[in-house]
Amino acid sequence: MATVPVRVATFDAPEVATISSTRMLLLAMRRKPLGAVSAALLVMIVFMAVFAPVLAPYDPLATQPEIRLSAPSRAHPFGTDDIGRDVLSRIIYGARISLWVGLLAVGIGTAAGMVIGLLCGYCEGRVDLVFQRVMDAIQAIPALVLALAIVSVLRPNTTNAMLAIAMVIIPGNSRIVRGAVLSAKQNRYVEAAQAIGCRHLRIILGHILPNVTAPILVIASIWLGNAILIEATLSFLGVGTQPPTPSWGLMLSSTGRAFMEQAPWLAIFPGLAISLAVFGFNLFGDTLRDAWDPKLRRK
Amino acid sequence: MQKYVLRRVLFAVPVLVLSSLIVFGLMRVMPGDALTVLMGESGNVGERELAKLRKDLGLDRPYHEQYALWLWQMVSLNPGDSIFTNEPIVVSLRKAIPVTLELAALAMIIGLVVAVPIGVLSATRQDTASDYAGRVVAVSGLSLPDFWLGTLVITFAAIWFHWIPPIGYVSLWESPWRNLQQFLLPAAVLGFRLSAATMRMTRSTVLEVLREDYVRTAWAKGLEGRIVVYKHALKNALIPVVTIVGGQLGVLLAGTVVVETIFALPGMGRLTVEAILYRDYPVVQTNVMLVAATLVTLNLMIDLTYAWLDPRIRYR
Repeated sequence: MATVPVRVATFDAPEVATISSTRMLLLAMRRKPLGAVSAALLVMIVFMAVFAPVLAPYDPLATQPEIRLSAPSRAHPFGTDDIGRDVLSRIIYGARISLWVGLLAVGIGTAAGMVIGLLCGYCEGRVDLVFQRVMDAIQAIPALVLALAIVSVLRPNTTNAMLAIAMVIIPGNSRIVRGAVLSAKQNRYVEAAQAIGCRHLRIILGHILPNVTAPILVIASIWLGNAILIEATLSFLGVGTQPPTPSWGLMLSSTGRAFMEQAPWLAIFPGLAISLAVFGFNLFGDTLRDAWDPKLRRK
Repeated sequence: MQKYVLRRVLFAVPVLVLSSLIVFGLMRVMPGDALTVLMGESGNVGERELAKLRKDLGLDRPYHEQYALWLWQMVSLNPGDSIFTNEPIVVSLRKAIPVTLELAALAMIIGLVVAVPIGVLSATRQDTASDYAGRVVAVSGLSLPDFWLGTLVITFAAIWFHWIPPIGYVSLWESPWRNLQQFLLPAAVLGFRLSAATMRMTRSTVLEVLREDYVRTAWAKGLEGRIVVYKHALKNALIPVVTIVGGQLGVLLAGTVVVETIFALPGMGRLTVEAILYRDYPVVQTNVMLVAATLVTLNLMIDLTYAWLDPRIRYR
């Protein structure tokens, strides 16, 4: 039942169905102010990533050894690192890496998960059985360990970290889509489409896909936070983004840990950036679910 | 019950075999083999030595033979040697596993000790200041990366208390006090992360149970609040909490990877990360497979426990 779509709901609850999904989201945000806070956080991060060259006061790669490890001041609000690079500028540019990796990884993982989920849910039978066992097998390996193993094989860099994260996302997503497809198939209009001889592709794309977009978007938004966290963890462990590119996880491990007693700001600010981003995406995912889950909506 | 156990075990076997295929395949998707990459990068190994090494490691055989050999090595508990240290992998695992087990067990205990009381408090005092405080703790546990928390804990313990955890691992049997000093902070960091989900679950299930008829009856017959909450409500509320705790085993095992690296504990996690950094493929594939097998087995055991506790599951 969790996947009854907006369009179909018109038959059951016409007074609710006239509200658009964007409006539902806005209503949910008004009911839960934390949702609005999360949206504001996300806007801030996206803004930072897009306008990094304008917002960053210094070049993130420019070194100034004479002011190395200087404490936060008016000129350098987040201080400088061990070779005199401005930490604030690096954090602003770091948003680009985090967001880029997060969006692409979740995009690839969601798209692949969706195709597998649609195929399994629609065909059922043997195809479903085989794919689901493979998904079980992938899920048997903890996400971080699997991502680590993939990156180690592919060579550590940002693109490969992104691919590894996408790979980790696929099984969970395919499960959710499969479930949504199975329940969407029970709808009478799907049966009717089959009865009048619609082609499979048309049934899948035209009648089933619209039913599964809401759960996919919700799960993707929750995964975005996780993807950013995994990228930061991989970079922290030295197998993600490589120096000198500014990545939050890398900043924390390369300089944050080495100089933590002398210059604690090197550990505090990148970690804060990761936490706020993850917090924002998690909370936004919750808000989306509250707004778009038909069960919660009817209450 | 026997039929159910058999069915579940039979389902677990193909999952394990597929996991082993994934791990084995992953280590061989690279163009060329692991050894060429490894030695080619160092640049000072001759072609003849390379061929000899490849033969010793069995990398010159066809893939299906290599897979069968590796599977046999895993089953017979003799997964070969590390190509970086030349040490038998079993020896390094024997040293690393107790460290990870101790860390995981302590983290689990700390996580539960923190999560359950705060969760109950949050539920019994819904929408009060203590409820909000509890929920903030839970959300921060989910959002704060454990590697950041670990770094901060070490930094501020050093700055404020001039104290750093003793370096150089000492086992629990050699010096319990020193061992506890080494493990308490990492276990607390890991436990805090685990407690977040448990806390949220405890809160919501206790809230649900408190609205049940039998709890109302307990109140109506004049029982003391403490007894209603802890004896009547909590017992039933804890069943889904156990599920959540079971589902966190993966998070726990992944968490040990990060926390062991930060706190320099020579466990499975650190062994795996080092093997990955040095591209020590035999160690990586053995460790990843071991983690997968452990998780599948533990999940199977949890499922079987449920079936034993709740007969309805068996007949589904």
